Amino acid sequence: MRNSIGRIATLTKRNIKEIIRDPLTLIFMLAMPLFMEILFYAIFHTMTSQFEMKYLAPGIAVFAQAFLSLFAGLLISLDRTTSFLTRLFVSKARPYEFIFGYTCALLPIVLVQSVLFFVVGGILDSSFWSVTMLLGILLSLVTAFFFIGIGILLGCLCTDKSVGGVASVIIAGQSLLSGMWFPTEGLGKGMLTLMRILPFRNATMLLQNAVNGYGDLFADLISPLLIVLAYALVAFISAVLVFRKKMRA
Amino acid sequence: MAVIRTCDLRKEYQDVVAVDGVSLDVEEGELFALLGVNGAGKTTLIKMLTCLTAPTSGDAFVMEHSILREKEDVKSVIDVSMQETAVARNLTVEENIEFYAALNGHTKEEIEAAKAALYSAFDLGQVKGKRASKLSGGWQRKLSIALALVSDPKVLFLDEPTLGLDVIARRELWKTIRALKGRMTIVLTTHYMEEAEALADRIGIMKGGKLLFVGTKEALFAETGKDNVEDAFIRMVGGDLDA
Repeated sequence: MRNSIGRIATLTKRNIKEIIRDPLTLIFMLAMPLFMEILFYAIFHTMTSQFEMKYLAPGIAVFAQAFLSLFAGLLISLDRTTSFLTRLFVSKARPYEFIFGYTCALLPIVLVQSVLFFVVGGILDSSFWSVTMLLGILLSLVTAFFFIGIGILLGCLCTDKSVGGVASVIIAGQSLLSGMWFPTEGLGKGMLTLMRILPFRNATMLLQNAVNGYGDLFADLISPLLIVLAYALVAFISAVLVFRKKMRA
Repeated sequence: MAVIRTCDLRKEYQDVVAVDGVSLDVEEGELFALLGVNGAGKTTLIKMLTCLTAPTSGDAFVMEHSILREKEDVKSVIDVSMQETAVARNLTVEENIEFYAALNGHTKEEIEAAKAALYSAFDLGQVKGKRASKLSGGWQRKLSIALALVSDPKVLFLDEPTLGLDVIARRELWKTIRALKGRMTIVLTTHYMEEAEALADRIGIMKGGKLLFVGTKEALFAETGKDNVEDAFIRMVGGDLDA
């Protein structure tokens, strides 16, 4: 057990270095979403409630997490195609230790994302400051599990050339189906149902409701939380199974 | 003593037989070169011996540990450097060694000792602060082989270690590999006949998953009536010497 924890810590440390030393990671996961938060707030917050900070900051926090799928996938697929993972498979490390190593490396980035977007949100709009921000930050770790799980799965299945294209579907899904960029009132019933059953809208709603308060605990918080958790669980179990299969192949 | 012994080892991928009943002994301390054209089964054989893939039938023993039943024991005495440069791209040379040593359960003192030994053996000290992605192909390959030595293996597998390197880098790497001879058993696969001729104690030739020949280069010359490994190899695998 002690050896296993030691190996997970070693893998995590390496993965953190790989991620933060790639400038594209920092641009797409932090700088670009931050720029969008500031820009959309500055231009649109007086025109539509959609872009008030209480909706925008939690929405941006989840949107930025969608890039975790891309960069987790890219890291793992590159490790595969360069045979780096093959070399590590000859060591005594086990499949779950690799999965933990990749996941634990991304969680600090999720924390930095949420804290950054919430604090900047509070600076731009002082009414956004609230103790419920802490609940939002905590739940952002839960929503991140879905995107990390998808990223690990993509990394196992795609090459470093194709992972970007496939991950962009997840990023587009988060943009279009989260309802954060446009009002959902005018949408058709079918589209609304789709948004309700997929994790993207639920992840955004979960953070928005956690930060802004909720009327119905089950409908506003527990239901979206369970839906996101269910998708995260499926993504992670699939990722572990595919990773194990790849490791044995 | 046979450090590696394979017994009728076979690997099938759907309808393709990648390795077809290979039985082979590799002695302690020798450098054994596996030659073969693309798809001959060399890499698959190495993947089975390093427990990366399971055989369809047969068994193999590394230091008397079965690759089927004692994978952990096999893994504790081997290491591998694959044909691609398998290093952590954004880590420095020093961090790569530290990472791989820590993953193998080394203590801080052991990590420092491993670093000092590898800097000296591979001249890596001069590039220790450079990120692996910024190194030339030759240096990356050196680092890749150096990492395989961190765990102090008894058996080292080198899968096409000089693939894609220029002639100077290749010769430098030969020097490094020669320095390892005798310290451990080395199994090397290569497409370069002169590499096998320069480095190997014994040569194995594979074609279509089968092991056609095992022996010294002198025995190979005697069997084929040729006086260099390249011509002897072509004669052995049935190629056209006049092409």
